[in-house]
Amino acid sequence: MTGTPAATSQASPRAGGLGRRLLLIGRIALGVTFVAAAYTKLHFNGEWHLGDYQFFFAMTIDSYKMLPIAAVEWLARILPWLELLLGGVLMAGAGLRWAASAASALLCVFIAAMLRAYLLHLEINCGCFGPNEKLGGLSLLRDSSLLALSLAVAAGAFLIRKREAKV
Amino acid sequence: MKRHHSFALAAFLAGAAILAVTIPARSGSRGATVRSAQARASLSASLPGKEIGSKDAPIVIEVFSDFECPACRSFYETTLRQVIDNYVSTGKVLLIHRDFPLQMHAYSREAARWADAAAEIGYFQTVESTLFGKQDVWGANGKIEDVLSGALSAADMKKLREAESKYSSQIEASIAHDLDLGNQKHILQTPTVFVTAKGKTEELPGGGVSYPLMKQYLDYLLRQ
Repeated sequence: MTGTPAATSQASPRAGGLGRRLLLIGRIALGVTFVAAAYTKLHFNGEWHLGDYQFFFAMTIDSYKMLPIAAVEWLARILPWLELLLGGVLMAGAGLRWAASAASALLCVFIAAMLRAYLLHLEINCGCFGPNEKLGGLSLLRDSSLLALSLAVAAGAFLIRKREAKV
Repeated sequence: MKRHHSFALAAFLAGAAILAVTIPARSGSRGATVRSAQARASLSASLPGKEIGSKDAPIVIEVFSDFECPACRSFYETTLRQVIDNYVSTGKVLLIHRDFPLQMHAYSREAARWADAAAEIGYFQTVESTLFGKQDVWGANGKIEDVLSGALSAADMKKLREAESKYSSQIEASIAHDLDLGNQKHILQTPTVFVTAKGKTEELPGGGVSYPLMKQYLDYLLRQ
């Protein structure tokens, strides 16, 4: 009986250390992906499009046939910057629980839109990483994997916070 | 805590460096922006009848299209017609049709032949409109000539048949030229649209663009 608590207290920091390392890798990977997604919306056809990116991205969003033009234009303007911000925050590790939760929510919306377009057999571009990436099973699989990673990071961040609060 | 943040910063810089090295190569591999005095010149070299509008127009729209593709029909009927009415007819846009018949469509090359024959005798717009408008009919039975006969007068149809026979080699050369051009531009789908303004060519997102967004982009280019 006396051996069990001792074994637990020895294993716990090691497990916590591994968890933190995995969380670090996960959030960096997720952050880099979001930054890459923003980058490809602002830099395409071989150059930066800071002045006119919104036209191209709006065309891609509009092809999903889900939103009125005003909403499409608004989303096209802000989404790349939101992704950039989210990516930066995830990489920096600030407010990780909320950043990872926001990333998960955003990915849920993306996947729902993509799945709808896929089921409706819309032959459109995904718009995920640049303007000319076709929407298909692979892009859905990739975004689903990103959602799994994002959820894991969010769960990990909440668990670590909970453990720290107990200590 | 400081060590933790330094590690995050290092990872951020490493990630940014990886992106800077890898992604430009990826995005530059397709539809690279053309900045040269020859940009406009290279846009012609097509049958003159497949170009609609003024050669002096500040904007050139080049559409790689397949007459049997439903997305091309939708793009033509919902966007291009309005572009023709509002921008081509006012001298703001030169519209160039490029044939890009996809192998998956049994009759699209033949349809392109008829359209190019029409371009030789100045009937391109009528034939283009008929081919897209009756796509469901000839796309199902392959009877393109019957569909065109229903839209043109007997005399015009006779001229079209003669042109199709007389200019056969030019028509094939024009289709081959457009296909080569499309392959050079790594076109993966139709319609694919390139817009050239001030010697700079941009590829629009594939699959067509709705008129309100096309209008916004064209107005933006005209303001530049």
